[in-house]
Amino acid sequence: MSAPVGSQTANIAMTAGMPPKRVSRTRRSTFFSLVGLGTIVGTWLSFVFLSENGMRISEWALLLVFIPLYYQLNVGFWTALFGVWLMNRPKPDSLDLWRTLNADDYEQPITASTAICMPVFNEDVTRVYEGLRSIYLSLEATGQSKNFDFFILSDSDKTSQWIEEETAWLELCRQLKAFGRIFYRKRRKPINRKSGNVSDFCRRWGKRYRYMVVLDADSLMSGALLTSMVRIMEKNPGIGILQTFPKQIAADTLLGRVMQYAQALYGPPFMAGLDYWQCGEANFWGHNAILRLAPFIEHCALPPLPKNAPFGGHILSHDFVEAALMRKAGYAVRLLPTTRGSYEEGPPTLVDMLKRDRRWCQGNIQHLWLVFAKGWHPMSRVNFLHGILSYVSSLLWFFFLVLVTYLAATPTAHTAPQALLAEKILLGLTVMLIFLPKTVILLDEVITGRMFKPLRLRLLTFFSSLLDTVVFTLMAPVLMVFHARFVIYTLIGKSVSWVTQRRKIDGGTNWSEIILTFASVTVLGLLWTAIGAAIGVKLGSFAFLIWISPILFSLIVSILVAAIVSGGRSGRRLGIFLTPEEYDPPSVLKAMQQNLEEIKDRLQLSPELERHYGLMQVFLDPYVNGLHVSLLRRRRTIDVSRSYLDEIGHRLITQGPQTLNAQELKAMMHDTDTVTNLHYRLWSAADHELAPFWSTAIRQYKLAPTSPFAHTLAKQEIAG
Amino acid sequence: MEAVNIQFAPATGTEEEWNEAYARLADYFRSYQLHNRIRRTQLILETLRKAAEAHAKDPTRRPTAHAIEQARLMLREWLGAIYSDLHLNEAQLEATGRLGFHLAGGPSRWPQFFLDEENMPDDMGEAMRSAIRNSGPGMSVSKMTPRDIDLGLIPDVAEDTFGKLGRHPILRYSVLFLIVFGVLGYLYSLFG
Repeated sequence: MSAPVGSQTANIAMTAGMPPKRVSRTRRSTFFSLVGLGTIVGTWLSFVFLSENGMRISEWALLLVFIPLYYQLNVGFWTALFGVWLMNRPKPDSLDLWRTLNADDYEQPITASTAICMPVFNEDVTRVYEGLRSIYLSLEATGQSKNFDFFILSDSDKTSQWIEEETAWLELCRQLKAFGRIFYRKRRKPINRKSGNVSDFCRRWGKRYRYMVVLDADSLMSGALLTSMVRIMEKNPGIGILQTFPKQIAADTLLGRVMQYAQALYGPPFMAGLDYWQCGEANFWGHNAILRLAPFIEHCALPPLPKNAPFGGHILSHDFVEAALMRKAGYAVRLLPTTRGSYEEGPPTLVDMLKRDRRWCQGNIQHLWLVFAKGWHPMSRVNFLHGILSYVSSLLWFFFLVLVTYLAATPTAHTAPQALLAEKILLGLTVMLIFLPKTVILLDEVITGRMFKPLRLRLLTFFSSLLDTVVFTLMAPVLMVFHARFVIYTLIGKSVSWVTQRRKIDGGTNWSEIILTFASVTVLGLLWTAIGAAIGVKLGSFAFLIWISPILFSLIVSILVAAIVSGGRSGRRLGIFLTPEEYDPPSVLKAMQQNLEEIKDRLQLSPELERHYGLMQVFLDPYVNGLHVSLLRRRRTIDVSRSYLDEIGHRLITQGPQTLNAQELKAMMHDTDTVTNLHYRLWSAADHELAPFWSTAIRQYKLAPTSPFAHTLAKQEIAG
Repeated sequence: MEAVNIQFAPATGTEEEWNEAYARLADYFRSYQLHNRIRRTQLILETLRKAAEAHAKDPTRRPTAHAIEQARLMLREWLGAIYSDLHLNEAQLEATGRLGFHLAGGPSRWPQFFLDEENMPDDMGEAMRSAIRNSGPGMSVSKMTPRDIDLGLIPDVAEDTFGKLGRHPILRYSVLFLIVFGVLGYLYSLFG
């Protein structure tokens, strides 16, 4: 391990923050012994049942598929139980990072320079900047913000979005008087997506900062937590990455609220459990984490994988690999158990969730290359394997059900008492593995009131948990089908494109999207039901159909379920699925939501102008035009001919922006002379030469004399 | 700036063309968020007069085009005086200058001195200059070079296998047929 940077205090051990090997070994041997024992017992019981009349090939296949599935169940079960135990034991955890800070540490001024980086890609500009404003103000309120700088790292490839980001940046800096504190950088070529974006920042400005906090476009973090994270890093130079637990917030659909509720209730014990056995080899989730920049720059640059996408090429799920590289370099990757201060938003609809999962699936499957690479810490390999298994398990579950259907169609008699007993014990064990963690966590909440003190709310939590079980039971088979499909897509070489994640629903239920997405699942459910019924008729018993009916029912009604969970009836009015952040919003969230509400009331232009708002402003508004050209000024002019740019410019003026493709817009927007000249050419053109778009756009200066800079942001200027 | 003189009688161009130029200039100066109507009217008339002179010399271009060009020239001249010490080229001068006026709060604080070099107060120029000096942070370039990850035996084997299969189509199809018929044969044996 090279000398860590960042420790200001000479008497702090350079490895502080790295859990002692003795503790890690003890914890892992305990944890994996229990997981292994549970898996072996389940496998043995399954074998006893299946082998009563000798093992057929299909039964061996079933057993083979069963083992990883049961292993995964056991990992979840023991993680949750260890978490609940840790949260309730009177003796504090010896590895608890919060204990490394004492009262004096909180009094010390923070001198370490920290960059807070927010990579964005065609995100909702208002949400990004209002989130950033809340974080900034929350940090200011701590009185320790002096050494924090903010960076918006844009890879947006929609021209209008790009301009809106620039204007919102300027306006935010102006309102907060934060010039020189908040920076905006747009990459010309978004090489290697998000990880490339962050690497680019590291190459350009990394040396200036000791730490980097990476945020997602929908992240929200409180100043108190940010300063505490820096203090913890200062006291623990052995930590390379410190990952917080981002809680989901601001959901307004049933799916979003159920997910954020489940995360609020079950998340903390799972996090505590993970922290128990992952120790210094935890994972990095790509955002809401602080990184020690020097070792990150030195050791965590990502090489491409062999072969092309989807299996090879650029590493998609870069965070797991960066965590492994950081650990390989000798630095700990730690989880910081937090209940407040770190937030993110989740996908609003089932379709959005699946789109996200498709990307994650491909990213995780890529890690197959890395599992057996040389030099990893063994736990990094386990992390890779768990990531892969989280998607492959769906395919395995699907195979499991297919094999069970086949075995039901070709049954052998199970009459031996030992086999029947094994079947019953296995069933009981499996039910326990699935439901006991939830039950224990729920009991813990009802007794201790960790989330809510009022008894009424604790009882509501109890009912909410019953309901979330119904929702997850209905969704799980559907997710299984899709995840299995994603794994197969990846294996046969179908790659995913980089798309913007939708965070809010734009209107009502999109039935056509839902029907197109889930019709095949319904058909699969119906077919499977027909097969089950045929088996029942053939054998004279419908036991199999009854056994598998919850899964088939979920598949058949998937369209309806997708529509219901993606809708706005989320149970908020009834008080179900309530989270602490909804009940008592933290100030950083409250501030952002107030500003977002204010913007909702802003004056709306015609839909056509709103769609090309940024583009309209950059060519019409002298200040936006000036801003864009100023931000471009240090760049080389792009390598296209002047006549080509003139032709595009002419088309822009006479036919409107909708006639230009993305490539043409990009070429134009990167050329300072073109952007400057088009501003004057547009204003100089006679009325009859202008496309209707521009005539309307010019008229809006008479009708709506609002500043383009304030179009995307709330007006919350700092006094003085 | 000279006293307000509303006299405007262009020697060339039609009334309709000059009305169009007037309307466009009004919108153009409104886009600078100059809500001071008197100043806006002054600017429009001053610009139109210069445009009329230009149009008399070159009547092939429409008065609107001349008017916007004159406004641009006036802006350049004005900004050139304010930012003379910054050695900016023309594109930078226009872009940075407009931005500086906005950031200094020019449209609300000094609308009456927009394009008025003679009467402009000192603090206005200083505010416009200091507004654009806030830039940064300076880059501090570092190297972030990926190191090869030794992926071990599996990728080598996979690469060799795929490489071989790729070079020998007959071998590739043989493997595919073997797999497909193997699966079909197994299914047949199960149900047969």
